[in-house]
Amino acid sequence: MLVQKPFFELFFSYVMRYWPRILNLTWQHITISSIALAITLAVCIPLGIYLTKNEKLAPYVIGAANVFQTIPSLALLGFLILIFGIGNDNAICALFLYAMLPVLQNTYAGIKSVPQHLVQAARGMGMTEYQILLKVQLPIARPILIAGIRVATVWIIGTATLASAIGGGGLGRLIFSGLASIRNEVVLAGAIPATILALTADQGLKWLQEFYSPKARALRHARKTRSYDQQM
Amino acid sequence: MVLFEQVRKVYEDGTVAVDNLDLEIAKGEIAVLIGPSGCGKTTSLKMVNRLEALTSGTITVDGRNINDVDPVKLRRNIGYVVQEVALMPHMSVAENIGTVPRLLGWDHKRISKRVDELLALAKLEPGKYRYRFPEQLSGGQKQRIGVLRALAVDPELILMDEPFGALDPISRENLQNELLDLQKVVKKTIIFVTHDMDEALRMADKVVIMRQGRIEQMGSPDEIQENPKNDFIRGFIGEDRLAQISPDSPVEPLIQEPLLRVKPSVSAAEVLDLMEDEGCETAQVIDSDDRWKGMAMLGLLKRAARKGGAVTNGVRVDRKLFSEDATIRDAAEMLSDQDIPIPVVDEHGSFIGVVSSAGMAKLTISRLTRKGKGGKA
Ligand SMILES: Nc1ncnc2c1ncn2[C@@H]1O[C@H](COP(=O)(O)OP(=O)(O)O)[C@@H](O)[C@H]1O
Ligand SMILES: [Mg+2]
Repeated sequence: MLVQKPFFELFFSYVMRYWPRILNLTWQHITISSIALAITLAVCIPLGIYLTKNEKLAPYVIGAANVFQTIPSLALLGFLILIFGIGNDNAICALFLYAMLPVLQNTYAGIKSVPQHLVQAARGMGMTEYQILLKVQLPIARPILIAGIRVATVWIIGTATLASAIGGGGLGRLIFSGLASIRNEVVLAGAIPATILALTADQGLKWLQEFYSPKARALRHARKTRSYDQQM
Repeated sequence: MVLFEQVRKVYEDGTVAVDNLDLEIAKGEIAVLIGPSGCGKTTSLKMVNRLEALTSGTITVDGRNINDVDPVKLRRNIGYVVQEVALMPHMSVAENIGTVPRLLGWDHKRISKRVDELLALAKLEPGKYRYRFPEQLSGGQKQRIGVLRALAVDPELILMDEPFGALDPISRENLQNELLDLQKVVKKTIIFVTHDMDEALRMADKVVIMRQGRIEQMGSPDEIQENPKNDFIRGFIGEDRLAQISPDSPVEPLIQEPLLRVKPSVSAAEVLDLMEDEGCETAQVIDSDDRWKGMAMLGLLKRAARKGGAVTNGVRVDRKLFSEDATIRDAAEMLSDQDIPIPVVDEHGSFIGVVSSAGMAKLTISRLTRKGKGGKA
């Protein structure tokens, strides 16, 4: 008990004193993670779609993404210093490489999971290949796709704390400097917001995933039907 | 309306699926392609809307060589119904029916008016069904929607590939009748694929019997029945077999696929869900070696599900027939005793199929109609 009280006092006084800095670093953290996520999605979703049309390439590309994902993240950051030097570019690139796998794999698997007879039927009704992708394959693959994005997002937010190890910004700054100076209150001032960010993003995407689940959709439509009937 | 001239299809692997097919289908006619599995029915159909390219020959639709029409445009003007129904699971009934109108850029009002009109045509109350999802429909309802979707933009020509093949005999017969009624109103040209001779004889204006990519015989249902060209056709019509059937003949011609097959490892609760979806009260439990493990029954399953058990805790194994010695009389007696499907197994315990009262009724009806030589019921 005696030990805890001064620690919380320390923590609160640190937060009270440095909250603008904590907010600033949180914002940096969000920025780095968002850019990394945006690049991941912009590259991996089209790439995953491309792989469903060129299946021979799929094992190689997904294999490569798997390799990046397997390299310990700190080591990956280290390697990339050779290319990008130190700073946020390096961190963002590493986060992208690290998070490729779940998005790529789930895009590929999601689209492959769409039964071939549905694609044939869509084609038979006169949809162009682009319309088949947009109106049939992607919507049906959506829950699997969002699941992959969810995994990638949590990984990115978590791993972004390591960015400061190579000179990037973000909440990792507090964690690393706290660890170096053995000041737990500083470590926590970085770790707590990082955790909240990851959990919030996770919950948000989980909600989205449920929003598009067949059950939720059927419920929404049942409501729509009822309100329609009342109008009649 | 549709003209096949010397149409040939060789797949990349060298399979000759369709071999020099010549066929003319008149406007407003239902032409039924029938033949054993793999004889080229699906391929012939898919060449009409260019889902498969012709290797040689020409197909003309409404006087135009299909190869001169953009495939996407061509397909939007030809209705297409497939066995798997293939309703889009993420779209409501209204969205599914409205697919082609949307592709053609119709405005919302016009689409929803058309959707309601079509639902009413199939005697499905629009207010009730418009916003349902495919998973909330029975098999028969799904296929009705599949047919309506093909009718949405009022195409002259409709292709149907075993549209009722996955349905139980009773729904199938209902849908056949509905389609025939509908056809009296809409008068489309329909190419209809099936492997069920009874269905062909009921639906067709022209029956086209195919074998190994070629036409074996073609004619009206009456012509085919009165003058089967050879033993292949006779065998296919099943005339001899049906003529000789007596109560003491083997049960074999009555055997059908069960509505529901499940693996022994599935939980009782899951099977209850499946039964509800299929609208049936029994399911056959069959392992991966095709061995019959019992017939799951609604009452027993409910009890097993409450205990959280596997489906095998809710089965009956004593009520069955052996394919080698069971007669139609045996089946009839068992069915009049208790009107639920009877599983049929062979001497090794492998599952063959089920005999149901619907199958029994169907056999009786087809015998009666054949005797009277009236092709169409
Ligand atoms: N995509 C394909 N590639 C190679 N062979 C095929 C393909 N599709 C069908 N076939 C073959 O062509 C023949 C006719 O097939 P199909 O038209 O589907 O027959 P049916 O519909 O009468 O059962 C069969 O031997 C089948 O194995
Ligand atoms: Mg077929």
